[in-house]
Amino acid sequence: MTPKRLTASSIFGHAVLVLLSLISIGPIYWMFLSSLRPENEIYSTNPLPSSISLENYIFVWQSIPIGNMLANTFLMAALITIGQLMICLLAGYALARWEFRGSRLFFFLFLGTWLIPFQVIMIPNYVLLSRLGWLNTLQGLVVPQLATAFGIILLRQHMKAFPRELLDAARIDGAGSWRVLWSIVVPNLRAPLAALAILYFIGGWNEYFWPLLVSNKPEQTVVQVGLQMFLTQEGNQWGALMAAAALASLPVFVLYVILQRQVVEAFLRSGLK
Amino acid sequence: MAIETPLSTAARPSPQQATATRRTIWQRIRLIEPYLYLLPAFLAVGIWVYWPLIQTVELSFYRWNLLPTRPKVPVGFENYLQVLALPEMGIALRNTVLYALGLLPFSVGLPLALALITAGIGGPLRGVYRAVIFAPVLMAPVVVAVVWRWILHPTQGLVYTAIQQPLGLPTVNWFRDSVLSLPVIVAITGWGLLGFSFLIFSAGLANIPKEYTEAARIDGATQWQITRYVMLPLLTPTISFMVIMTVLLGAQWVFPLVNVLTQGGPQDATTNLYYILWQFGFRSFNVGWSSAAAVLFFAGFGIIAFIAVRLIDRFSIYDS
Repeated sequence: MTPKRLTASSIFGHAVLVLLSLISIGPIYWMFLSSLRPENEIYSTNPLPSSISLENYIFVWQSIPIGNMLANTFLMAALITIGQLMICLLAGYALARWEFRGSRLFFFLFLGTWLIPFQVIMIPNYVLLSRLGWLNTLQGLVVPQLATAFGIILLRQHMKAFPRELLDAARIDGAGSWRVLWSIVVPNLRAPLAALAILYFIGGWNEYFWPLLVSNKPEQTVVQVGLQMFLTQEGNQWGALMAAAALASLPVFVLYVILQRQVVEAFLRSGLK
Repeated sequence: MAIETPLSTAARPSPQQATATRRTIWQRIRLIEPYLYLLPAFLAVGIWVYWPLIQTVELSFYRWNLLPTRPKVPVGFENYLQVLALPEMGIALRNTVLYALGLLPFSVGLPLALALITAGIGGPLRGVYRAVIFAPVLMAPVVVAVVWRWILHPTQGLVYTAIQQPLGLPTVNWFRDSVLSLPVIVAITGWGLLGFSFLIFSAGLANIPKEYTEAARIDGATQWQITRYVMLPLLTPTISFMVIMTVLLGAQWVFPLVNVLTQGGPQDATTNLYYILWQFGFRSFNVGWSSAAAVLFFAGFGIIAFIAVRLIDRFSIYDS
């Protein structure tokens, strides 16, 4: 299989990839295109815009508190990312560094959360949240989503593969476990930590189900729920709907344009949630 | 699974020159040290996963409507009997299976075939294809739902105005059709999944050492034989991973689309077990039914997951 020669099979391969690319990008392109079309051209089937207008974006901005929603979403995603990274880092370190009474039990306790679909535990979660008075609050959106096992297991694996000599050297120098973690382990785990951060941020940004349950006020909710509210409210205002959808996906796409390689690697390495 | 800890000696106190009392304090702190590191994760998982799981089991034996002011009435196994007798449960179970089976071509069959066809394609274009094909994976499910609702609108959407209308085909109400709505939801979910699966399989193929395929080629194997007897067996861990993810989580992936586009309808045609739990709980406010159905579902889910993991271990061929 020499890649440079143009054989029949390689032409076929390119054709397949081009088709797949068109299928993948087509609906996304159509979303942005429709969002930029003026009212009277919205039903056009022309794949290229004849004129560009921001009226749909202005309409969205004026009819729903989309600025609040975007800010809430960003805060939620950022706090989930930071919180989960900290929790997973500490727990992964404990499980990788020591063998202690119950360490296996803890490991399986974390692993086992994978077997519990969220819909099975959503009612008690909701009840606890409303008892705490956390409905329609930022902490209500963030704190329950900090419970996860995936990062713990991933980081534990990376730490186990860590060169032991480095840690031994630090221990002989008298460094405590906390200092070893921050001065030696963390700097050497930049790649998996960055991958986790990307996954958690995008996952948090796109999270829909939990915010749907616990935030129903437009000013307090996230953009995904806001988009659904807008859909119910505006029905077939397609240009405006596409503008709202574009705004809801823009930050992730910007992140993707900047960190394309890292984002793809992060997802491939760790699978879907 | 044996847990090896290359760093376990760290639990011993360092032989520093300190007084005996200080050493015992340090020893004590050292003993509980790992638990301190574990505490945040343990609290998060305990409070938001395991404790609620116990509460779900408890709530399945009560009648309650989610209002804090209303009492919970103990009803024994009544919720279970009622839930099992509901015709919606049978439909939801059937649809859950249909979703899982329907998604398999998008998460395994098609992307695997495409990855094999395009395995030899290299060069600078490869990165461009990769970036573009992966893009739908990053789309929020609600955004996906809204965009496809526009494209598939019966009379205004692109599919009608660009395909059906010019060809003189009749209008189709994609999301209100009792036969088509489920396949359409599957196809849209599949659209979001295809790029991810394709890149997973491509990465798996790229990891197969060149020596294996070269050796087979020198032995006179055809391209088909190399694919069938060298590449596919080495891909079994990836294939089985994707199959299990789809079977276990497929019905969960479609949830946002169902909620935004069809609300489970028409006449429960697109509902599934995840969706019915949500409807019982937060639409009909029947906590007992939702919890009883959740317990049954959890049990079934656990059994399938257990069997799946055993099957992976048995059928996977590892390159060691």
